[in-house]
Amino acid sequence: MKRLFSLTAALTISWSGSTFAAGETIAVFTKNLTNPYFQAVRVGTETAAKALSVKVIQYVPTKPDSIPEQLSQVEDVIVKKPDAIVFIPVDYKALVPAVEKINAAKIPVTNITDRSAAGDFVAFVGADDYSIGLAVGKRLLTAMGGKGNVVILEGVKGSLTSTNRVRGFTDALKEFPNAKLLASQPGNFQRLNALQVMENLMQSFPQIDGVLAANDPMAVGALEALEGAGRKAQVVGINGSKEAVDLIKSGKLLASGDFNGFIQGCVGTEIAVRNLRKQPTPKEVMLKPIVVDKSNFAPYETPVEQRACPALEQVLSN
Amino acid sequence: MSTRTLVFSQLARVPGVAIALVGLCGIFAATSPGFATPANIANVLTQSTILLLLALPMTLIIMTEGLDLSMGAVLTFASIVLAMIAVGTGSITLAVAGGLAVGLCFGFLNGALIALLDIPPFITTLGTLGIAQGLSLVVTDGQSVVGIPRTIEAFYSGTVAGIPLPIIIAALAYTLTHVLLYRTRFGTYIFALGGNREALKVAGISVRGMLIRVYMFGGLMAGFAALLMTARLNSAHPTAGIGMEFDAIAALAVGGTSFERGNGWLLGTLLGVVTVGVLRNGLNLLAVPSSAQVACIGALVIAALFIDGLRGEQ
Amino acid sequence: MSMTGKIAAPRFALSGDVMQMLYRVLAVVLLSAILAMLSDVFLTANNILNVLRQTALLFLMASGLTLVILTAGLDLSIGANVALSGCLAASVIKLTGAPLAGVGVGILCGTMVGLANGVLVTALRIPSFIATYGMMWMLTGVTYYYMGGETIHGFPAGFRQLGSGYLFGVPTPVYVMVLFLAIGALFAQRTIWGQQIYAIGANPVAARLSGVPVERRLVLVYTVSGAMAGLASLIILARINSAQGDIGEELTLPAIAAVLVGGTSLFGGSGTVAGTLIGALLLTVVLNGMNLLQINSSWQPLATGIIILLAVWIDTRTRRLGE
Repeated sequence: MKRLFSLTAALTISWSGSTFAAGETIAVFTKNLTNPYFQAVRVGTETAAKALSVKVIQYVPTKPDSIPEQLSQVEDVIVKKPDAIVFIPVDYKALVPAVEKINAAKIPVTNITDRSAAGDFVAFVGADDYSIGLAVGKRLLTAMGGKGNVVILEGVKGSLTSTNRVRGFTDALKEFPNAKLLASQPGNFQRLNALQVMENLMQSFPQIDGVLAANDPMAVGALEALEGAGRKAQVVGINGSKEAVDLIKSGKLLASGDFNGFIQGCVGTEIAVRNLRKQPTPKEVMLKPIVVDKSNFAPYETPVEQRACPALEQVLSN
Repeated sequence: MSTRTLVFSQLARVPGVAIALVGLCGIFAATSPGFATPANIANVLTQSTILLLLALPMTLIIMTEGLDLSMGAVLTFASIVLAMIAVGTGSITLAVAGGLAVGLCFGFLNGALIALLDIPPFITTLGTLGIAQGLSLVVTDGQSVVGIPRTIEAFYSGTVAGIPLPIIIAALAYTLTHVLLYRTRFGTYIFALGGNREALKVAGISVRGMLIRVYMFGGLMAGFAALLMTARLNSAHPTAGIGMEFDAIAALAVGGTSFERGNGWLLGTLLGVVTVGVLRNGLNLLAVPSSAQVACIGALVIAALFIDGLRGEQ
Repeated sequence: MSMTGKIAAPRFALSGDVMQMLYRVLAVVLLSAILAMLSDVFLTANNILNVLRQTALLFLMASGLTLVILTAGLDLSIGANVALSGCLAASVIKLTGAPLAGVGVGILCGTMVGLANGVLVTALRIPSFIATYGMMWMLTGVTYYYMGGETIHGFPAGFRQLGSGYLFGVPTPVYVMVLFLAIGALFAQRTIWGQQIYAIGANPVAARLSGVPVERRLVLVYTVSGAMAGLASLIILARINSAQGDIGEELTLPAIAAVLVGGTSLFGGSGTVAGTLIGALLLTVVLNGMNLLQINSSWQPLATGIIILLAVWIDTRTRRLGE
């Protein structure tokens, strides 16, 4: 206990010792107002901001995932010259010109979640979608005893997240040669979409033993479809969302990969602030893939608004 | 006449959109330090150019009692074709030609379906929207098209005598459309298409031919808009232009063009587009939360038409 | 159109509309036959029920809209209405644990929004395209703000039966669909109010001269459109067992398409609620077929676009034949 205290004290002192006048402004860009993942990111940035005495301003396109709108918002924000930017590009290729504009305006920018195809960043904070897909996939297949019929519910066609997660799924399948992949269809990361796709798949395939969903809303959609048809299968998702955790608790969902935007928002903001305050920052933070299941779901039950940001050191040492 | 009535009646002549524009500029200039700077003004105007390129032909189309809901999707597909040609051949010229060709083809398709098959414009263009959107998705499989020679960016970020190139392009487009509408036979025929098709027939002008030309003009401008969009993104994406036709329609409605009466006002369209751009820019600068921004846009559109409706009765 | 004191009879009485209906039913039958040949799961009980369930949702959204389009108007706000009504209803259900309260709130919200649209169009004289477009933005803004990017999930099992349950082997939404088909058709065809609505669409000036209270009827149709959106939102909630800020937004254009494919004219005055049902069925069967045949989902907007064009083209041809 004493050691923890002195460690915390040391960190706090070193922290405050190199703090300039607080109150820096950080502009945060996320993709849309409707996906809870990005809400978790925003909450993370706000929580970190409060702890670090900086101000964050949220920029979200009014039309969800609108590329031209995010571009315009970047251009408008550059006029205001925030001290730093934390950036999730709506599309990792199409927003490159926006990043270049930010670079030209000499505003330090940290990239989180979707790795931009180009541009100069203070750091990239993300989770390895591939590793998460792989880990979650293996969990499902192990639970299935290594055999059976599996379907994959992909995300949005063309999104980096979806592509990498699905790659993880398919590689997991390679390690279990007795499991058969029946179909791989996009559900657009959306619940209703995934529900209908799953219903259609159930028509075509009378026996489905496992569902690999690239995110939680789709996993839930698949579960609804299964329940509606009176069928059972093992389902896994990715996000570690509250809803998924509730379902894991009740035994309906097998597992969910931890890809919770909260930590990325926290860490992205922390790094942006450290960079402004001339403190050392890592160039890349890749969060370890954690699979949330019946054994370890407890910490995930707290809603993001009530969580505290983890210290950077703790995240790095994981 | 009392002074108050005099002033009021003069004010009543000033179009609602101008009042809205001046009002918004005033509010934002007062509350946001960065708003009224040359850099930001150039910013807002440049951001408005793509929408203007769509709104201008839309005004003409609406004057012919028509509508083109496919413009955003056609822009998107044209930009994808443009990008693919640029990546494949390395030639920007060929790429631009390809994009314009796509626009013209869809314009022809729209016009032909409307004129020859008598399908109402709303439905026709809803259908071609689906076709263009579908083609965009299928051809790209959801991915951005990248690898375009960087010279294309000059179309959006280049300047001539300090003025951003898009603004010059938009100014040229406006002038062209203005001349077309108010100074040529073609323009007179467009007016006739809107209220007096009989006159055209009597004069021996093919109504069908005119309609096809009007929609082809729309397609052509969508092609130019595609060029600017591709230059802006240095890539093409199958969702880039989604919904822009609705934005264009709203902008020109704010500008005073009426569906019911089919009277178009080109300057009003320009003002409407700039007003919407100013609103968005100002709200961003003020860091108004996104959900409030969404509501504001709706409020602006309704308020503008409400005011116009009021004044129409005087 | 007769300018005498009589209100012009609704066009459904003419055989032209019956022909149109027949062509459409024929199209559905033909399409189903083709799909049955191409896919051996298409005609299974499960799949048919699924198609009916999905059609029911689309129809409910499009049914109120049909009345609006009959008056030569448009309602672009139905998707956003679904979102707001659904999210409010979801909150109430979670708060009170009483699904009925949520149902009431959802329908009430939808109705109020519809009423607002009606006022904008009649009292403020704003063209319906723009009025409902602006309303769409405002509703979306309010919904996003209210939800704050969160999801509401987990409703009582009884409520969920409304969307995903079965009654005597038939999905529950189908019963709702049949109910409102009957109500809608009877209203449009057999009541004075329905006849007046057709008259307004066919010739507003003549209708007014004949004594039809045009403004009141217009407010009515927009209110009904909103109420149906509220109802549809409940079915969506029950189906996906959650609420989010953007539910229903992807249903606006398909709902409009269903009405148009169903034979209702944008110019007002002709069309039927039953036609909208067939339009919804046709569109759903096409998408279902594409899914079953594992056709790349990217082709779906293309297919929908072509269907719309074909349907209306056939209409214009047959209208000419009938004249």
